[in-house]
Amino acid sequence: MISSDVIRGYNDTMILYLLLSEPSYGYEISKRIRELTDEKYVIKETTLYSAFKRMESNGYIEAFLGSETYGKQRTYYKITETGKKYYKEKCKEWKITKEVIEKFIVKENDHEYNQKLS
Amino acid sequence: MNTIRNYLDNMFLGIPQTDDVIRAKMELLAMMEDKYSELKNAGKTENEAIGIVISEFGNLDELADTLGIKEVIENKTDISMVSYDEAMQYIENSKSTAPKTALGVLLCILSPVTLLLLLGLSELNLITVKEESLIAVSLAVLICLVAAGVSHFIRFSSKLERFEYLQENVFELDYKTEQAVRNILEQDEQSYKSAVNISVIGYILCALPVIIIPLMLEIEGLSVISIAVTLIIVAFATYNLINKSAVHEACNVLLQQGDYSIKSKSNKISKTISKVYWLVIVAIYLGYSFITNNWTMSWIIWPIAGVLFAAIKAITDGLS
Repeated sequence: MISSDVIRGYNDTMILYLLLSEPSYGYEISKRIRELTDEKYVIKETTLYSAFKRMESNGYIEAFLGSETYGKQRTYYKITETGKKYYKEKCKEWKITKEVIEKFIVKENDHEYNQKLS
Repeated sequence: MNTIRNYLDNMFLGIPQTDDVIRAKMELLAMMEDKYSELKNAGKTENEAIGIVISEFGNLDELADTLGIKEVIENKTDISMVSYDEAMQYIENSKSTAPKTALGVLLCILSPVTLLLLLGLSELNLITVKEESLIAVSLAVLICLVAAGVSHFIRFSSKLERFEYLQENVFELDYKTEQAVRNILEQDEQSYKSAVNISVIGYILCALPVIIIPLMLEIEGLSVISIAVTLIIVAFATYNLINKSAVHEACNVLLQQGDYSIKSKSNKISKTISKVYWLVIVAIYLGYSFITNNWTMSWIIWPIAGVLFAAIKAITDGLS
């Protein structure tokens, strides 16, 4: 399991990525996150819902009511143009973040550091 | 499914039901139910599925900002958690004091029986003692029995006094405790139901002596004795009911359902009405009986008052 502190800043990115392909609803999104990450990351319902609300008020996504299936009417979310822009920024930010952090992660073939660690 | 709904209700306990909150609750419930059905379809047992859904639900703190309920959540610690040990202790104490409380009630109901029996026997000329001394003796017995009964109540009710807040206040149980209480309730179901059955049959049959004996034999004095028989049946039916329903009641208190639901706890009006109501009934009973001396009839107020109370309760619940 990943600590949620690290991932918190990128919940929005994951959700927006999934919404890029098609509009979706709460459980489907959480399920696809779980599947895509090979169950390494399971998003909590409260985390997901607060991300929806935050992004909705920022104008990144829009909520709409889906058609009724099995007596249930689900709230669907779709990505907006602002959302797409925000997503691109987040991707850029992550690339830089990754590069930065990567500098401080010991490489497998770095024998000197690996020796100090063992 | 109900467990999930209850869990969510508990999480949102004491949080103002604004439109945002209601929407959040609905959507969270939908997500949880979706997850639950899928886990069930994947072959998980009901308990496993519920366990997973609840463990992955997360924390309400995360929603505090988005729902504008930050202050409420910070003050939410006011709602006390009832621990597993506390809950089990409460059930245990309820169970162990039940026969004693029931005995107290039994003694109080039986208290006029000697009076009725002796009066009946003397009317039948089976005993030849002056009526005044008869009444004196049986009143003494009556008072002693009531005293014994009441002292019983006081002695053993103090054991449950500490737990009174469970009936008065809104509280929360953690998932494990709630499951444990539900299990106990389920295990007790059979014995509770049969006890209720037996007592209800007793309450119905208790009318028979008063109706049949005077009809069959028109002997004066017998009707008084038949009332005594009726009281004895009522007394044992009540004893049985109180004794055997203690665990059931305690579980309902802990699960905050039935009479102890969060809704009725917050319904102060119906609580006040019920307090005043029974005091008024007692006053009418005593006043009427002492003035007219018609003790053989006046007891009828109790069953009538009972049914009327149910009606009043239904009305006040409906209005709130």
